Parts: sequence; C-alpha cells; structure tokens
Amino acid sequence: MAAPVVATGLTLVVGSLLFAALGYDPLATLQAFFIAPLNSLNGLSEWLLKASPLILIACGLAVGFRANVWNIGAEGQLIVGAIAACGVGLFYPNPESPILLPLMVLAGACGGMAWAAIPAFLRARMNTNEILVTLMLTYIATLLLSWLVHGPWRDPAGFNYPQTALLSAAAMFEPFDYAYRLNASVFITVVAVFLMWLFTDRSFLGYKMSVSGAAPLAARYAGFRESSAVWIGLLAGGAAAGVAGMAEVAGPLGQLSPQISPGYGFAAIIVAFIGRLNAFGIVLGGLLMSLLFLGGEAVQMNLGLSAALTRIFQGILLFFLLAADFFIFYRLRRIPEHA
Amino acid sequence: MLNLNRRKFLQYSGAAGAALGTGSWAGLASAQEPLKIGVVYVSPIADIGWTKQHSLGVDAIKAEFGDKVALTVIDNIFMPQDAERVFRELAASGNQLIFGTSFSHGTPMQKVAPRFPKVAFEHCSGIVHLANLGTFEAKYYEGCYVAGASGAHMSKSGKIGFIGGFPIPDIVGPANALLLGAQSVNPDITCNAIFLNSWFDPGKEKEAANTLLSQGCDVICSMTDTATGVQVAGEGGAWSIGYASDMAKFGSGKQLTAFTLDWSSDYVRAAKGVAEGNWKPESRWDGLAGGVVKMAPYNEAIPADVIAKLKQLEADIGSGKIHPYAGELKDQDGNVKVAAGSVLADADIRGMNWFVKGMIGKLG
Repeated sequence: MAAPVVATGLTLVVGSLLFAALGYDPLATLQAFFIAPLNSLNGLSEWLLKASPLILIACGLAVGFRANVWNIGAEGQLIVGAIAACGVGLFYPNPESPILLPLMVLAGACGGMAWAAIPAFLRARMNTNEILVTLMLTYIATLLLSWLVHGPWRDPAGFNYPQTALLSAAAMFEPFDYAYRLNASVFITVVAVFLMWLFTDRSFLGYKMSVSGAAPLAARYAGFRESSAVWIGLLAGGAAAGVAGMAEVAGPLGQLSPQISPGYGFAAIIVAFIGRLNAFGIVLGGLLMSLLFLGGEAVQMNLGLSAALTRIFQGILLFFLLAADFFIFYRLRRIPEHA
Repeated sequence: MLNLNRRKFLQYSGAAGAALGTGSWAGLASAQEPLKIGVVYVSPIADIGWTKQHSLGVDAIKAEFGDKVALTVIDNIFMPQDAERVFRELAASGNQLIFGTSFSHGTPMQKVAPRFPKVAFEHCSGIVHLANLGTFEAKYYEGCYVAGASGAHMSKSGKIGFIGGFPIPDIVGPANALLLGAQSVNPDITCNAIFLNSWFDPGKEKEAANTLLSQGCDVICSMTDTATGVQVAGEGGAWSIGYASDMAKFGSGKQLTAFTLDWSSDYVRAAKGVAEGNWKPESRWDGLAGGVVKMAPYNEAIPADVIAKLKQLEADIGSGKIHPYAGELKDQDGNVKVAAGSVLADADIRGMNWFVKGMIGKLG
C-alpha cells in the first residue's frame, strides 16, 4: 500500500513547485483542486455521478485484464449499450410503463455484450488480436450512432439537429433530489463492484481466469480453456460498459446526440490499472479520476488556471502512481559486465 | 413530450420577456459589487476559429465595463454531461449572467436555467428560449452569399467546393447561400459539398479539400474550426473563402475574403441589460446589417470594379433589398421550394435540411 502514499506525496511536492513557479499560491491551489469541489452536497453528488461510470466500466474491464484479455474498446461498447437502451426507451409501446427502466438496463447490457461478442468470437475462433478489433469497433459504433441521430432516430421536432427526442420520465433514472443530478444508477455500480469482488476473489472461475492471465501454459496444463477466459473477459467488459452507457442516456443526457461519452470507456482503462485490477482499488481509482476532473474545472473557475496546466497536474499524479508501482514490484540492479 | 415549433418558441419567449418586464431584474442593478459573468467555451482559445471569435466578444465586455465586471471563463467544455455541471456551478457561485457558446450547451442550459431563475442565461446558436434563457445567432448565409458571388467572379472552372462540419441547418443553409450567391453572377455554376462530421479534424479536412481540388473546384469554402481548407486550397493554387476568422495568412495569398463573426454587440448588449436591470430573454439573429457577420478585406487580385459590386451587394443584403433565399428556389431534384416573388421564411431558414439545385453531394 506504499505506492499510493509515495505517489501522492511526490505529486503534492512537484505540483506545489509547479504552481509556485507560475505564481499561484500552492496551498490555495491544492485546496481548490482537492477540497473545494467536495465541500457541498452538490459537489459530492457530481463527484459520485462522474465516478460511477468509470468504476462500473473499470470493474468489467478488469475481469478481462486479469486474464490478459485486452478489451480497450469499452467506449464503443458503451455507445452501443446506450443506443440499445435508448432505442427501447424511445420505441417501447407504453412510455409510462414501470418495467421500461429495467428493460433499458437489460438492453444496455445486451448491446454492450453484443458489441464485445464480435472480438470475442474472432479471438476465440480465429485468434485475431482483440486489442485492434475492440479499438476499431469503437469507431464503427461512433459512426452507427452518428447515422442514427442524423437519420432514422432524429427528433422530428428538433429543427433537424442531430439528436433524438428526449426520453420520457419513466425511461429516466429519477434524481434523489431534483436540486442535484445524482441518481439511482449509482446503485448499479455498487452491485457491480460487489459482483466483481465475488468473482475475482471468491469464485473458482475467477481464479482460473487469473491463472490463465498469469501463466497461460500452466492454465492449459491444468485444463483451463483459453477461449472461455476470452469470452468471459470480453462479455463482462461489454456488459459493464453497455450499462454505463445506458445510465448516461437515462441520467444526465436524456437523449442521444452524435457524441455521448466524455471518454469514459478510455478513462476506465486507467482507472482499472490505478486500482490494480482489484474491486476496491478500482473504487478508489474511479473516485480519484473523477476528483481530478472536477478539481481541474474548479481551479480553472476559481483561480483562472489554464485547462492545460490542470491536465499537466493530472498527468503528474498518474505518472507517479504508475512509476511508484513499478519500483515496488521491480528492483533496479547493476548487472556486472561480462566480457 | 416537448412538441414546440419555432413560432411557439418565439411566442413563449416574447410572452416570458414581457411578463418579466424590468421588475424582477431590477434588484441586480443596485449592487455595487462587480457584475459576475461566466462564459463557457467549447474548445480552447486558438489563433483563429469559433472560440477565438467568442473570446473577442468577451474582450469587448472587458473594454466596455472594465472593473465593473468580474469574468470567469472556462474552456474546452463540449460534452453535455460536463457542461451541465459547469453551468450549475457558475450559477451557484453567484454569476448573474452566463454565456454558453455551442449548440451542445443547449440541453444542459435548459436544465439548469429554471433552477436559477434570477440568473440570466445567453446561448449562442441555441433554439430554445425560457424565461431566463435567451439566444443569439448570426446570419451566416448573408456573408456566405457575398463570398459565393466573389468566388463566381474569380472561378474559371465554374465549380466551387464546400466543406462543412456537420450537415445541420446552420451549415447546410450557408452552403446553399454560397452557391446562390455564386449563381447570381454565373447561373451555371455548381458546388460540390463534403461533410466531415467533425468540427476539428485537420487530417480529414485536408483529404476533403484535395478531393474537391481533384474534382476541378477552383474556389473552396470550409465551415469548420480550422484553417486547413484555406491552406490546402492555397497550396493547390485554388481560391479560398475563410469562415469565422480572417484566415488570409494561411491562404498563400489566395483567400478571396472571409465571412467573419463578431459577437461583441451580443455580449455587450446582454451585459448592459443585466447591469441596468432590464435584461430580457431575446432571440437575436443579426447578420451584415448588425455587424455580427463581417466580410474580411477582399483579395487584391479581385478587380476593383468587382470589389465595388461586392460591397454594393453587402449593403443591399444589409438593407434587405436583396434576400439570399429569394425565390424561385428549387431543390436538387428540381422541386420548387420557394416560389418566385417570395422569400424563405425565417423558421425554414433555421431548419434548412435540403440542398438547392446545383449542389452536388448528399446531406450526411
């Protein structure tokens, strides 16, 4: 557990030097960055709202990453999940039905899984590289979304702008309080974290997947099939990303437009690794990433720091975190020269 | 579900404005503290382009009011999820006037505005009005029409090229105006159009411009957030037309003109309204006459008599003597969309989703 502490300490030191060098009071800046965003109920609500999809997707991805199944196309699976969920929300015959929202969650999960099933099939059957296939399918998903909102699903009352009609109230998560944006979709994330912990730490299947990640040959000798690890890894990531997409559409967005994700699918990869592919680590990682976003905006608003500077600061933190990890797991040693 | 058309919006916003009158805003005027204004940009401020022109509007507020305003600017906010949080935060932290500068800020502003009824919201390129949400927009098509006329005077091949960000009415309309302006000089001229589905993708834009050049277009107009179109046209020896900012320095001396945007009057007017306590949610839509659209200096290669004609055209459009969308207008298939003697209604201009005859290409 030393790595996060060391990394945070180093970041604070280097960050302070950076802010001081540019003429900002380091203490005030750090306070605005890490404390100010969270000192109101609204701030806390925004913090969880932004962290929730990151944690949810990272949990799903980590299942695959532990088995060396590299799904980096969660962004595309999120988009397809959002499309499927929004399709149900828009075209279900009874827009007031109480089962509409659960159906949309299901549709989101199925959409994400369907998109992830393509690389899973190709990898399991034809041994294609899932890194390339998942990434490329992200672009296809973006274009599919663009076609839908420019074409068949365009809001007929929307002045031809590329967006769908707004979802009905029954098709949206109701906020806990209308003064804030946080809604019940955060519970889905809580359940997902728990399920991921059960699977990775308490189930035999999860153990088998970890083995095939750590030692593929040993896993094969033990009779664990590689293809099932591929399928489970990709489908878990796809389902999580699809549900996250559904929660965005049925939460803060309320409709589809050509771009619906602020890069959650990619940021979640970082979150998964900050959390060391462990359920509770991922929760902390997601909260940290989310705070970095909010803090970056807060210092821009309150102190007038440029957006680029806040991004540098975020980069420093992530850099130290991963570097500290590296030096904990590896030791630098001088190798005597042989003639 | 929300089922409003533009006319109803205008009625509602007018009624809301009248109902508000000056009463509920008067309280703000008496405060001695500086007026707090928040501005949200969609991208970082670059050398040229959309956000740069908005930053000039903000500069105009500073120049006009000096210490009497305290500005909070936040840039690079595109996604609606992030925008809603930022608008809410700006309103909660005491800003009395808040500007959104992109169409994608619309839905978030519509959600936040009703929660802060004492805060004035101004949305550039918006379509929805609320009791405390006004919009402002430019008549791009007026500048585009003049630019198209300049292109037709200089084109030898009789083909002009258009590159658009997205096939939305704000871009499709000006593309039509470009060709109509050109046809006012040479009735046989045609226009090839390509949409990038991105505001900022220099790689794709370069490909598009090269495609248009190879199709024989010798005037290229690009409505995106980069100077790539102007640059590639200049390098390929073709004329170019800039958008938003004057892009002459990128065009190898081949930029004919640019239809530039100057939002200063919109920004200053809104700030003045809030400061004096008589701000109303308006739907402002100005072009050449209001100075929101301005033609950049014409290229010296254009003969003096042609420049005189173009300046006359600017004046005539400004005065309303010439309407860029005056009938008879036919669509690509030859169906009459606007009869001779009438002009396209404002609501139809802002919802334009069809190409006029002579446009070559598809919408999306």
